Amino acid sequence: MLEIKNLCAGYNGTEIAHEISFTVSGAEILTIIGQNGSGKSTLLKTLSGLLPPLSGKIYIDGTDKENMSRNDFAKLVSAMLTDRPKTDMMTCQDVVETGRYPYTGKFGLLGTADKRAVAEAMELTDTTELSGCPFSETSDGQKQRVMLARAVCREPEILLLDEPTSFLDMHYKLTFLEMLDRLRRERNIAVVMSLHETEFAGKISDTVLLLKNGHCTGIGKPSELLSKKSLTEHFDIPDELYNKYHG
Amino acid sequence: MKKRIILSFALLLTLLLFFTAVSISAGSADISLTELIKILLGGGSDETAVMILLKIRLPRTLAAVILGGALALSGYMLQTYFHNPIAGPFVLGISSGARLAVALTLILSARGAIMLNSAIMAFAAFVGALAAMSAVLLMSSKIHSMSLLVVCGVMIGYICTAITDIIVNFADDSDIVNLRGWSIGTFSGMKNDSVIVCAIIVFAALTAVFCMSKPISAYQLGESYAVDMGVNVKAVRIAMILLSSLLSGCVAAFAGPVSFVGIAVPFLVKMLLGTAKPIVMIPATFLGGGVFCIISDMIARTAAAPSELGISTVTAVLGAPVVLIIMLRKNKDKENA
Repeated sequence: MLEIKNLCAGYNGTEIAHEISFTVSGAEILTIIGQNGSGKSTLLKTLSGLLPPLSGKIYIDGTDKENMSRNDFAKLVSAMLTDRPKTDMMTCQDVVETGRYPYTGKFGLLGTADKRAVAEAMELTDTTELSGCPFSETSDGQKQRVMLARAVCREPEILLLDEPTSFLDMHYKLTFLEMLDRLRRERNIAVVMSLHETEFAGKISDTVLLLKNGHCTGIGKPSELLSKKSLTEHFDIPDELYNKYHG
Repeated sequence: MKKRIILSFALLLTLLLFFTAVSISAGSADISLTELIKILLGGGSDETAVMILLKIRLPRTLAAVILGGALALSGYMLQTYFHNPIAGPFVLGISSGARLAVALTLILSARGAIMLNSAIMAFAAFVGALAAMSAVLLMSSKIHSMSLLVVCGVMIGYICTAITDIIVNFADDSDIVNLRGWSIGTFSGMKNDSVIVCAIIVFAALTAVFCMSKPISAYQLGESYAVDMGVNVKAVRIAMILLSSLLSGCVAAFAGPVSFVGIAVPFLVKMLLGTAKPIVMIPATFLGGGVFCIISDMIARTAAAPSELGISTVTAVLGAPVVLIIMLRKNKDKENA
């Protein structure tokens, strides 16, 4: 379970996301919806430990993140961010294996349990047949599935995803979300992600958080928050424009 | 995969042993192989042969292996640090910074200000390397283009070299006796006590780098992934800078500027291994650097015998084309992406 309380996030002392609070339990999906620059990525980076929180608290299963070692935190929380990994001469399996890092010993060699977790994750994400392929030569959709396998093979309790479906075509978008939906149920993973596609967010999420200029302007059930009225207001879209292309 | 790695290590070790033997036995004074083995085992009746072997050829050969390995490893660390395949101690001006610090130290010691020994030389070079590295780091925070960063490094190198030249010009000849020769770089004239100091520093650093192979593997993926994997990125960065400065400083102090080894060797070794995993790359790069420098040194002392070529002359001829290949490949990758 991930619980954040009055979290303020930003860079170099400049606050970008203000006083955000929410709780996500196992097998639940919370989706952050907001315009470009609203603070979604900053918030996710702070949750994953890439940025220190400016203020506020992050609790994992009731334990304050500040009281956890980096390695213990990494065992419980796994992130899939928008940066492309640098994968010089790595096969897809090599990339997935890096997900087991917090569990491996002094020299990073994988044990049998690690290997099994990697194989399972690749099975679940439909990437087994890619294992020997150079990562750099795979398609965007395949890369995204490999990165999901990497995040999942750690067997985390919490999964953070920043715009996981951007740059994917319709087929890959839908299969990716289907995979995510199945994984969180089967493995009881709490998911926090940001999505641009509000129609998908409405179908897959248990909770939606609307983020505007760094402020949470609404949190609750997708059916309530993703209505036409709410969306046009949230994204500053005139009614006629919404009706013409989206309605 | 495993098989290829084992074969690669076998190849590197064989080459290293073979060329070490050749390097020790070849030279203007012919020493037969049986004589060689006898002397190395502590026997040997010919006084001059013993002298030549133990006081001249052995330290020189060992220096080429140890310092060559150090240089290649230092290059590997810098490439990893900057995520840039053409970063290296020479092109980033770190070797020149080390050399400047050593020149200053030599002059101070000649004036009687400090007692000179190999350890102090190495320490001065380390400080100089760190200073030049700091300048590069300061620029890298402002410059995000990899090729521009290398250009800046080259400029830092020129500045340090120019200052060194000025200092040398104004110094008395007797002060800089020890500085001669290594404006072009050489493994000749290595004394046994210097080799021991080098060996201690370099093997300690090699061990430390090898023990860091796990966090380095995480760092390779990029900062955000390293953080996600639970790595203390700041600590890894500091350790990488200190260790690579120590290694390249050590080379600059004892052999002078040796170009392109730091860039060419890690690339060639990576191609040989077929993987960039640090746990195999670190020891293999070290061995590869040793092989590369021992061959270069043999060419340097035999190609134009009885006079000698500078070691950089040879390493540039062998290494610079490799750098060009790397840049062309990188360019191709960009076009494909």
